Amino acid sequence: MASLVRQTAFSILRNVNLLRTVTPKQRSFHAISSINNFSKVDLHQQLLNNVKKRDFSAKEPLTLKMIRERVTLVLNLYDKIDPTKLTVDSHFIKDLGLDSLDHVEIVMAMEDEFGFEIPDTDAERLQRPADIIQYIADKDDVFE
Amino acid sequence: MATAHVRSVKSLYKRSLRMLESWYDHRFQYRYQAVLMRDRFDKNRNIKDPRQIDTILNEGEQELFNKQHPQPRRFANSPGGVAFEREVVPPDWVVDFWHPLEKAQYPEYFARREQRKAEYLAMWDKKYGKGTDEHHH
Repeated sequence: MASLVRQTAFSILRNVNLLRTVTPKQRSFHAISSINNFSKVDLHQQLLNNVKKRDFSAKEPLTLKMIRERVTLVLNLYDKIDPTKLTVDSHFIKDLGLDSLDHVEIVMAMEDEFGFEIPDTDAERLQRPADIIQYIADKDDVFE
Repeated sequence: MATAHVRSVKSLYKRSLRMLESWYDHRFQYRYQAVLMRDRFDKNRNIKDPRQIDTILNEGEQELFNKQHPQPRRFANSPGGVAFEREVVPPDWVVDFWHPLEKAQYPEYFARREQRKAEYLAMWDKKYGKGTDEHHH
């Protein structure tokens, strides 16, 4: 049974990988599943739920709280950031000791998480998690 | 490194990673290649001579051009993506050109809209000073 479940889970994972444009929801799901220790059955169930609940027409409405949670989750999962030092107002380069290429990687992770492209000129201004949250909220017209 | 160089290097790094992402569609393969790519960038990080930086940057751009993907991965709403310009959001000023009868159907909204426009004009005048009425054609 376990092997069957694993096989199914992997086939779903593979199918998800094959999609050229992955919805933000799935991305965040991958991130969440890697920090919690789900059992394989749970993972399978989660994957099934995730696949069935995909929105093909519109994305989920965001709130500022959700944006903040997703941004901090992505940042916490980044191996060069110490989660204990991370706050919403910590500067990536001055406070967290990252370099400019790490900053590029963070911006790319945010693009993947929220599913839209951030131009280089805008990315230069995103020096703190708070800036990223504000930028994404502005982009999606989220005010509360 | 000068700011302009930092900017070009960051841009080159980002496009290189996206290129790798297009070629290696399994995440673990992409991650492996991305780490190798990061290492190549890190090896040149201490170069100070601007001419040498230019040479390396040009080589990098050339290599990226040679290795570009025929059908690169794009975000859905970016140029080249599947949903690019699928939904066109009409600009706000279109509402000002509604017919008065149409506007009359939403009296509260348009009253507040006119009020907001007046506030905005007052804010503009306060910030940048009164404009002259002369036309400069």
